[in-house]
Amino acid sequence: MDALLRVYREACPDPDVSANFMPELWRRIDERQRSVSFLGRWARALVTAAAVLSLGMAAYLYIPHGGSSVFSVESYVEALAAGHAQDSPNLPEPAADEL
Amino acid sequence: MLVDFEIIKRAQAGDAAAFNEIVLAYRKRTLGTIARLISRPEDVEDVGQEVFLRLFFSLDQLRTAEVFEPWLYRLTVNAAYDYLRKHRRRMESRMSDLSEQQVMLADAMAGGRVDHDVRQRKQISEAVDSMLSAVSEADRILLTLKEVEGLSLKELEKIYRVNENALKVRLFRARQRVLKAFGEASKEPNAKGAAKAEI
Repeated sequence: MDALLRVYREACPDPDVSANFMPELWRRIDERQRSVSFLGRWARALVTAAAVLSLGMAAYLYIPHGGSSVFSVESYVEALAAGHAQDSPNLPEPAADEL
Repeated sequence: MLVDFEIIKRAQAGDAAAFNEIVLAYRKRTLGTIARLISRPEDVEDVGQEVFLRLFFSLDQLRTAEVFEPWLYRLTVNAAYDYLRKHRRRMESRMSDLSEQQVMLADAMAGGRVDHDVRQRKQISEAVDSMLSAVSEADRILLTLKEVEGLSLKELEKIYRVNENALKVRLFRARQRVLKAFGEASKEPNAKGAAKAEI
């Protein structure tokens, strides 16, 4: 087997390179570079859009929007009391003890 | 080294002229290696361009210019391996047509259209190709690099990034598998064998 492989090396010399090899190689390099830069542009645009959107959302959440805001500064008990204000019975004031 | 380290460093820095110089220096040798690895002359340039394309886009990952040649060999081996894996099915179907091709070759030889040297080269090439086609792409590439390309174990260590002992074991097993596959193939009395014997 070793002898056959050695003879094979001699039987298969380095092939001649065609004249088209270099132009075709540079065409493929340019093509790949174009597709890489196109993808890069898209990626940059997506990152920019995501950053702008994040900043917008942060600003929206940071600026207070009065009572209509989903997020409230009230405590849980206060919010519960306000929500059930109508349900609470109108009890009369306790009478002052007359001495 | 076929080029100076300085040229490699310039190419790494994005100098197109330096990269062109590297391709011009190494293309013939690289194409020769690919030709012996894939045994498909019509696809050799295509695979060669893929190697240099990968080199162009990965040159910045090369840490030192001193390891450029093993790096290029690794790219060559990977491209050949990808090609062989992709075209294995196609090659298998072509192998089934081999007897027809051989008949055509025999006709050509009988007619005196192919001279003696070309005929002999073709026979050797076909014999080695059929012997190596019986084993995996990895075995084929490893054996070709060692026995046909004549790379030393030290050079193979750099390409495969494994130690010498592991390489010796892999080479031994690859050799055993080739011999076993070849022995089994030679026992089978099929049309292919008969056609080969005629040639």
